[in-house]
Amino acid sequence: MDVIAGAIAFVFQWQNLLALAGGTVYGIIIGVLPGLGPSAGMALALPLVMSWHPATALIFMGSLYKCSNYGGSLSAILVNTPGDASNAATVLDGYPMCQQGKGGVALGLSATSAMVGGTIGMICLVFAAPFLAEFALRFGPAEYFMTAVLALSLIAAVVQGATIKGLMAAGLGLLLSTVGFDVITGHLRYTFGWAPLEDGIPLIQALVGLFAVTQALVLAESAKSISRLAKLAGGFWEGFRSYFRHPAAVARASLIGLLVGVLPAVGQSSAGLLAWADAKRHSKHPESFGAGAPEGVLASETATNACMPGDLVCTIALGLPGSVGAAIFLGVMIIFGVAPGPLVFVQNAEVIYSLFVALFLTSFLIFAVGMMAARRLAVVTLLPNHVIVPAILVVSLLGSFAIRNEMSDVLISLAFGALGYVMLKGGFTPIPLLLGLVLGEMVETNYHRALLISGGSYSVFYSSIICKILILLTVLSLAGPYLGPYWKTLTQGEK
Amino acid sequence: MPGLLRTIAAASALLAAAAFAADFPSKPVKLIVTAGAGGGEDVEARAIAPFVEKHLRTQVTIENQPGAGGKIAFEKFQKAEPDGHTLITYTFPKSVIIEYQGKAGFRTRDFTPVFAWSRSSQLLVVNGETWKTFKEFLEAAKTKTLAGGLSGRGSTTHLMGLIALDELGVKVNWVPYEGSAGSVAALAGKHLDFTICLATSAVPLIQAGKLRPLLLFSDKRDPSLADVPIPKDLGYDMSFIPTLRGVEAPPGTPAAVVKVLEDAFSKAAQEPGFIEIAKKRKIILQPVGSKEFAALVEGVYPRIAKFEPMLKN
Repeated sequence: MDVIAGAIAFVFQWQNLLALAGGTVYGIIIGVLPGLGPSAGMALALPLVMSWHPATALIFMGSLYKCSNYGGSLSAILVNTPGDASNAATVLDGYPMCQQGKGGVALGLSATSAMVGGTIGMICLVFAAPFLAEFALRFGPAEYFMTAVLALSLIAAVVQGATIKGLMAAGLGLLLSTVGFDVITGHLRYTFGWAPLEDGIPLIQALVGLFAVTQALVLAESAKSISRLAKLAGGFWEGFRSYFRHPAAVARASLIGLLVGVLPAVGQSSAGLLAWADAKRHSKHPESFGAGAPEGVLASETATNACMPGDLVCTIALGLPGSVGAAIFLGVMIIFGVAPGPLVFVQNAEVIYSLFVALFLTSFLIFAVGMMAARRLAVVTLLPNHVIVPAILVVSLLGSFAIRNEMSDVLISLAFGALGYVMLKGGFTPIPLLLGLVLGEMVETNYHRALLISGGSYSVFYSSIICKILILLTVLSLAGPYLGPYWKTLTQGEK
Repeated sequence: MPGLLRTIAAASALLAAAAFAADFPSKPVKLIVTAGAGGGEDVEARAIAPFVEKHLRTQVTIENQPGAGGKIAFEKFQKAEPDGHTLITYTFPKSVIIEYQGKAGFRTRDFTPVFAWSRSSQLLVVNGETWKTFKEFLEAAKTKTLAGGLSGRGSTTHLMGLIALDELGVKVNWVPYEGSAGSVAALAGKHLDFTICLATSAVPLIQAGKLRPLLLFSDKRDPSLADVPIPKDLGYDMSFIPTLRGVEAPPGTPAAVVKVLEDAFSKAAQEPGFIEIAKKRKIILQPVGSKEFAALVEGVYPRIAKFEPMLKN
């Protein structure tokens, strides 16, 4: 307890509060731009903080890392361009809310999500990190494979209403996930000799195409503005209040985000998508999802914000980063003389707890920044299309280029923009495609790895207790919609 | 007549080289990193760059080109202007492995080696609850096929695993991951029997007693893992492929320019500021000059060629 009290006193020194605020604002700005994620942001800021006190520097880097995700939600909501892959699902309902003039409400929801999701995640990180890390280690390839299958079963919920088209999109997503270097066998697949595809379909570049470019094309069809009302209805506080009307959805989204974060081999970008799909399945009005349902923004953003502290669990408690961003943060910590691992809570307790206190505070700081900026930012949705369309295209394609300094990535974005436009006009939603694209590799590589370890025996997929639970959950997830009414009849004796 | 022509050509080349060197560097130098921002290669490049700037008296800008594991960057680099203003840094022999994995539009032996500042060694690690010594491990490995984790197919850990296996006559089910975090986590959770990784990725879990290092693939012990034996200690005669981080210039860079660059990089690597960062990241500094670097590049080809079929599948 003394350590925590000391850490609180340390964080409240003026230079640390300044570093905290600076990291938060810098992180949000970095997050808004699609090509600049937390990884590039931290790498760019490293020379600046090299001479600082280690704990101060880590507070700056930590808040930068944590807040870039919120920045990404701003561009996702306002101009249909996810700032990072994790914000993909925020686009689905955030942007339609803007079109209905409720941009301010959506921004209120995302800021509240950052505060609540981030706080829930941090509580788990502070009090359960060693336990959660131990749990994560029990997941081997077979368990990861079953987790991915469970996640894929959510596609069934997403495609409700347009099953055939949804499954077609999911199939396309799975197919696209096989493009590139097969990490297990070392073969190149479907690259047609074009080197930029050897790493697989680059996710952010594809998202920029599917959302930003597609939307720019749609906007260019009319001379109005994003908000069809030409005025703003409802504000930030309405979003704040409506957030707390859905406590069950908040709890489920936080849990999903935390789990995705804690398990190192589950891609961070899937947290928001899975939470969104799960919220749709549990909703009483699933048809409103994708057409401006506040719960959609809530689920996606709460999950992604709970995911980041979850991601730090294994990074700090085991020294094993679960994502690219976490790997870079790990590198930063080592440079400042803090070696993450099981012993870090003993050897560097002061620094680690100062970092935790600071990350707690950033959640509230994000909310304050969001509150001040929402009204001004929402005005973007009132700008005429002939101003906003070129701006969206320039910024998003520049971002797409900047990730790998590759002109070919701009082509990839444009190709996905064309695909997105055709899909939109044909009545397809991009979500099943994204779920397939994000989960496909996880399914395939872990299936392959599990069989390599077991020497070809399929029993590896059901031998552990975790596998058995996951299989049960998958069966329930698929059969739930049919069993639900039956269960009701049985218990209530109606009809 | 042809002799005379050749002399004139050689003389003019020399003159050109001298002229090059006199006004080199005439603009900022671009250092290409064949990996994303923030990774090991990137951090080392960004750590040494300010010190190189000091000795080269020009700006050094870093450009990350991680596409296709660096292949795109290498292919562009093959055709880059050889005036010393475009340089590349990567973990050698990554580029040679890429050449052997499939069609590649570049040849590492064409590049002009400048200077390498650090080396790294692979470590064989097992779960702390299993074998205590390398001898016990080897006996187990000879009785049943063990599952061994790699940080990637075609990575330097893969190559070291194949070499060790070759020399010991052991059969292994290799399980490639993407990066060492995955294979180390799977080992800590006892899903794998052993893992080969860079020493740095396993140190936290080794210190906590969860993992146990059995063998360091090197001809020198690592000061940060002083009690881990090397093959020589156990009576094995293994050959290693050097894993180096350094910088190269495009094919055909004039010797005079290489000299200026080599001096700047070698002085930068001796700066106390750089040494301190290296120490914190447990980077083992070992200067390798351009001539020695070139010899290493040549020497690596036949040895990787031996494993070509296994690297592919």
